[in-house]
Amino acid sequence: MAIIGVGVVGGFGCGMTDLAGALTQGGAAVKTVSVKTSKGMVSQPALLADPSSLERFVPKRAVRRIDHFSRLALLAAHLALEDAGKLHAERQKMGLVVATGYGATRTTFAFLDSVINDGDPYASPTLFSNSVHNAAAGHLSILLGVTGPCLTVSQFDMSVASSLLSAWQWLDEERADTVLLGGVDEYCEVLGYCRHRLPGCQSAVIGEGAAFFVLSRDAETSPPYGFISDLQIGNHWGRELSTPHDALLLLDACSSEYRQYIRGDSRVASYSPIYGSLPVGMAFDMAIASLSLKEGKVFPSPKAVGNPFRLNIIEQEQDLIIPQFCCVKLTENGQFAVVTLARR
Amino acid sequence: MKRAAPVPITGVGCLCAAGMNLQQCMDSLFRGTRHAAPPTRFETSHPVNYPVFEVHADIPTTALHHGVELGRTSRLAVAAAIQAVQDARWIPEQLRSRRVGVCMGTTVGSAMNSEEFYRQYRQAEDPDMDPVIRFLAGNPATAVARELGLTGPCQTVVNACSSGTDAVGLGAFWIRSGICDVVIAGGADELCRVTYNGFISLMISDDSPCRPFDRDRKGLNLGEGAAVLVLESDQTSQARMKKARSFVLGYGSASDAYHLTAPRPDGSGLRRAISEALNHCGRSAEEVAFVNAHGTGTPDNDRVECRILQEVLPGVPFFSTKGYTGHALGAAGALEAAFTVACLEQGRIPQSVGFATKDPELPACPVKHPTTVTGDIAISESLAFGGQNAVVIFGKEGA
Amino acid sequence: MSRGEIKEKLKRMIIEELNLEDLTPDEIDDDAPLFGEGLGLDSLDAVELVVLVQKHFGVEIKDMDEGRQAFQSAHILASFIEERLAA
Repeated sequence: MAIIGVGVVGGFGCGMTDLAGALTQGGAAVKTVSVKTSKGMVSQPALLADPSSLERFVPKRAVRRIDHFSRLALLAAHLALEDAGKLHAERQKMGLVVATGYGATRTTFAFLDSVINDGDPYASPTLFSNSVHNAAAGHLSILLGVTGPCLTVSQFDMSVASSLLSAWQWLDEERADTVLLGGVDEYCEVLGYCRHRLPGCQSAVIGEGAAFFVLSRDAETSPPYGFISDLQIGNHWGRELSTPHDALLLLDACSSEYRQYIRGDSRVASYSPIYGSLPVGMAFDMAIASLSLKEGKVFPSPKAVGNPFRLNIIEQEQDLIIPQFCCVKLTENGQFAVVTLARR
Repeated sequence: MKRAAPVPITGVGCLCAAGMNLQQCMDSLFRGTRHAAPPTRFETSHPVNYPVFEVHADIPTTALHHGVELGRTSRLAVAAAIQAVQDARWIPEQLRSRRVGVCMGTTVGSAMNSEEFYRQYRQAEDPDMDPVIRFLAGNPATAVARELGLTGPCQTVVNACSSGTDAVGLGAFWIRSGICDVVIAGGADELCRVTYNGFISLMISDDSPCRPFDRDRKGLNLGEGAAVLVLESDQTSQARMKKARSFVLGYGSASDAYHLTAPRPDGSGLRRAISEALNHCGRSAEEVAFVNAHGTGTPDNDRVECRILQEVLPGVPFFSTKGYTGHALGAAGALEAAFTVACLEQGRIPQSVGFATKDPELPACPVKHPTTVTGDIAISESLAFGGQNAVVIFGKEGA
Repeated sequence: MSRGEIKEKLKRMIIEELNLEDLTPDEIDDDAPLFGEGLGLDSLDAVELVVLVQKHFGVEIKDMDEGRQAFQSAHILASFIEERLAA
């Protein structure tokens, strides 16, 4: 699948220029959030995203009922379409896939607030409608006029990879000529609290944001960001992952699974300090790989990554010719995904 | 659109208020009996009781993960998957050496909305984290893959009311494209206070048993359950000499791009989805034996859907099974796929229970009695919140 | 509560709860349609309004037939509420 446009919003800012800037500087502006516990307020770092630039694309009145989660998706999607030069293009043969790990959590809990505060008969229908996982896709399809197939996928860390299967299907079956595909996840206090009670990798900063891509068939001869040339997804059941020798692997360097299951000599980069820890992190890795392919450069991994498992991390900007990038995701229960991006 | 090869369905599993397996469900459907009642597993403070279609029996499997029992939706999913795999005469160990994917639709199964946990959290107590652990371990597709030891791709479709239908259409592609030898495709959803309260707040719930397409219909009743189809490649099923029960012939998916909760009045999304599904398998409207409609019982859905059916498939008998199962959200499309397969096998369709009086605004009526059907293809369709329309075409024969 | 007070409270409620942040109560014409033309609210706002009227005024709207009548304009809705409160 050819990548003809990318749009991003996250803790680093909004758009590919801001993303490139954060990668060059080696970090993004970390905010502090407070989480309520039985022992009082606890502070946590977070990489928060601001969707207010959505006003550039959609009038405020049109989004009055639309929540933070859907606004992030809307903004990234519009940026991707703008980047691809397709902001005003026809939409009949366009498909839409949204991947999300947790869905619209703020609205989910706001709906519960309406029930708990005032009673069952006072549940808010607007909050309920917006709390369903496919609300973002619904808003996108309405505001962009997408009448092709629309799909929302929710699979925690595997959400983005599994959504790529469906995009590929639609292009292959000629249901669509282009697919707008993206991942979106938002921060909310409850998630912050759960992270505090169920800690994973200690150095990971919780993040939120959206990364969207405009994909088309491989027939595109020279797409600006290259191609998604391979997709592997499933359960590895203890086997080493198969990745090309000349690829740079983008992964979460703090997780021991990577040491165990990637080839020992692989060159590795890890960019999560740029966008934070969130289930759809793979979409941001894909955006960074796309940027690398477009600019012909490799961004160094931010120092904040650390390298507890002594992987072969690229820490300085180097004159490397990297023909392909593999975005790798592993979960603790043996699921894996490898998405390969290449110039051709 | 590229023409699709038929995908064999070798096994079906199904549990819902109408029965704890497909046979029991079909018996209820053909007897015309239904059991709608106020929810028993939770309480609410509405002045009026809204009936639901609850699964009262114990759900057979209780999968444990990291010491925490899986949530109800995933247990329903796993139970239906095990039934389907047994029906397909697969021994689970044999599946582990194949490329087997899982594609499941759900709504509640992917929602982090444990009220019990959240109430405690709001009071700044340190809540019991089991509901959160259960949520993190309980993704329905992942739970099924884990229980059966499968290695292929997993996908959980959260397309609201069309999730189950979409999961079948998407899963069939994994077979056709050669990514998988076998796909476990279906949907699962449990009844819970969140969706119960949510639909009531939208004023589309009926406080009596639902009446799809009826003049006096007032809305939907929620239901719960799970259904799974085992899809496999021709090569795989032929090699083990397992005859297909039915085939997935075509899939159509199109969006209204109109409103978050109301269907487009002209039904253009549904019209396109039906047309796309027929195109996908190179069949025509005249060949369709029957339609298993979405038919929730809401004034809007039934009006739009009936008009489109009359326009695109005039004279083709249709019915809604939501009068027997309630609207099981992510499971609905999968349950209806299972019923469609069984109806095609039996050459008959059940009465559309809940329908008694023709609505003068609607151009056609669903069937009022069990009806023999001829024809070897059938449609199952779903219309979702957010405006997605999904249509799958099933056929008796592969060719 | 007088009808004037009801109307004022109603308008503020509509603006705040339905996120019409660019409007002030004065800008909501008493007789302009709330739905379709005029304020441009839709079916989702309608069911939200049912919950809001119950919550803020304690007045129940039992179905959307009744809702359609009551929601024709700010003035009509305020009268409806006033009548129900008096009963």
